[in-house]
Amino acid sequence: MAEPALAAATGLRAGVTHGRVWALGAVLAVLWVCMPALASRSIVDMLVFTALYTIAGLGVSFLLGQCGIVSLAQSVFYGIGAYSSAYCATHFGWPMPAGLLIGIGLSATIAAVVGWPVLRLSGYFLALATLALAIIAHVLFTEWDGITGGTLGVGGIPPISLFGFALNSPARFYFLVWPIAILLLWLHYNLLHSRTGFAVRAMRDAPAAARVLGVDIHALKVKVFVLSAVLGALAGSLFAHYVSFVSVDSFGVDRAINFLLLAVLGGSRTLAGPILGALFITMTPHLLGRFGDIHALLFAVLLIVSVIFLPQGFGGVAAQLWQRASGRKLEPKP
Amino acid sequence: MSALLELRGISHSFRGLQVLRNVNLRVEQGAICGLIGPNGAGKSTLFNIASGFLPADAGQVVYAGVEVTRHSVERRSYAGLVRTFQTPQVFAHLTVWENLMAGCYKLTSSGLLGNLVGTPGSRRELAAMRATAERVCREFKLDAVRDVLAGKLPGGMQRLLELARACVAAPRLLCLDEPSAGLNSEEVAQLMQALQRLQQSGMTILLVSHDMDLVAVASVIHVLCFGEIIAAGSFAEVRADARVREAYLGV
Repeated sequence: MAEPALAAATGLRAGVTHGRVWALGAVLAVLWVCMPALASRSIVDMLVFTALYTIAGLGVSFLLGQCGIVSLAQSVFYGIGAYSSAYCATHFGWPMPAGLLIGIGLSATIAAVVGWPVLRLSGYFLALATLALAIIAHVLFTEWDGITGGTLGVGGIPPISLFGFALNSPARFYFLVWPIAILLLWLHYNLLHSRTGFAVRAMRDAPAAARVLGVDIHALKVKVFVLSAVLGALAGSLFAHYVSFVSVDSFGVDRAINFLLLAVLGGSRTLAGPILGALFITMTPHLLGRFGDIHALLFAVLLIVSVIFLPQGFGGVAAQLWQRASGRKLEPKP
Repeated sequence: MSALLELRGISHSFRGLQVLRNVNLRVEQGAICGLIGPNGAGKSTLFNIASGFLPADAGQVVYAGVEVTRHSVERRSYAGLVRTFQTPQVFAHLTVWENLMAGCYKLTSSGLLGNLVGTPGSRRELAAMRATAERVCREFKLDAVRDVLAGKLPGGMQRLLELARACVAAPRLLCLDEPSAGLNSEEVAQLMQALQRLQQSGMTILLVSHDMDLVAVASVIHVLCFGEIIAAGSFAEVRADARVREAYLGV
């Protein structure tokens, strides 16, 4: 892979030694394997949510950082994925892959049909249109109680079984959801360094010039929106089987904002951004909970401080630290 | 010689203001064709109509014998009609090298799913893209700045990069909008050499410019003034034309 290409996508500049990459990778892998044994159940539970949010947030992050599309509609596809799995499992007794595939298919179709007109908008107008989608979907999730259970929700969703082994605890689910998240990050990396990846980044920076090179930017925007929706649906489906109960509260506008927030905080142009952003939004409220009722205010202050002082997100900072450690000068990314 | 691009009876107006009046222009295959005119003459509008960014109110755009008046920018690009912009449109957050890689888009065909998984076909394609980008990077002497973000390059270099990226896209007709704006005399000389080299390689070039020195490389020059072509011919002929001297050269 061309190193400059890697650099642009990950925030890493050329020259980082392979040895250090492997060493860091090994430390993280050992830490990852040991985590369920070392940490409390509630921490592992939060790490499962971190992975779930990484998956859904990756879609938002990709749209935001690489395509220049602000999407507040991820809660819609997260919800569709979750309800499809919940309904198929509880009403029909179908196995998990059936509900998952139906959720993904539905999300992709809706994203394509809605995205085709909506993605002709840009900037704030597009952001507002996706916000409208999130609001409409939330109302529909509440009203279509025959399928979604409305405010009462759908319970009794069976856990995922792998080779007869039920993933019914945070520690077990952890070993399913994280490899999926990492696999998706790898696919994302592949995509960025391909024909399509160069095209989406070209489209973000100079749409007119991208068109001159033959890129049909509207069709490409719809494709990446569909791709992002598929990630949302996958995360939603996994979420439903993990928590075994889904209700409309999980798919509101606040969830959509959370996904966008994690993309911004994590650093939407860095590979590790979605993970770091997801860690922040799952762990920080928990840690701040120790300070009592003031925790929401503290969280808000922390958000503002992060956005002001870390405009490139945690991923950008991580990349800079990494560069400093490897003794290379980092060219600031705009 | 046959015409690669022909604009027939192009008219255009903005909010009632007639910008182009029945403009006819031929760009012969393999030639460098110049289009000059004072500010506000309608050069950019004509350029946008030729490249598909603007629909003409009347008239036809014929490219390689096919009427493309209603074809999109992308479709014209696939047919080999590639343009640059008056303000360089580089992909600012990509490196010089990545800009050139992005230029390979229409030479490749792998789909989104193949790219995601990194299929062998997708990887082969990437290797081919890299080879093309490498070659053009050398040809345009961009090696020294290949890892620099394009947005951080000085204006002249951005223009050169835009030209190089357009060349990656294997154009048959290269339309350049004010390619020498912001370049110093040395860079203009380099640009002229590059244009002649490209012409020798078989490329047809349509050049819009204010710069009379640069336009001298064109074999035919069209002079646009207040939306009408007032003269066409060789550099010497155009310079000698009384209307051109009056309208454009101010002599």
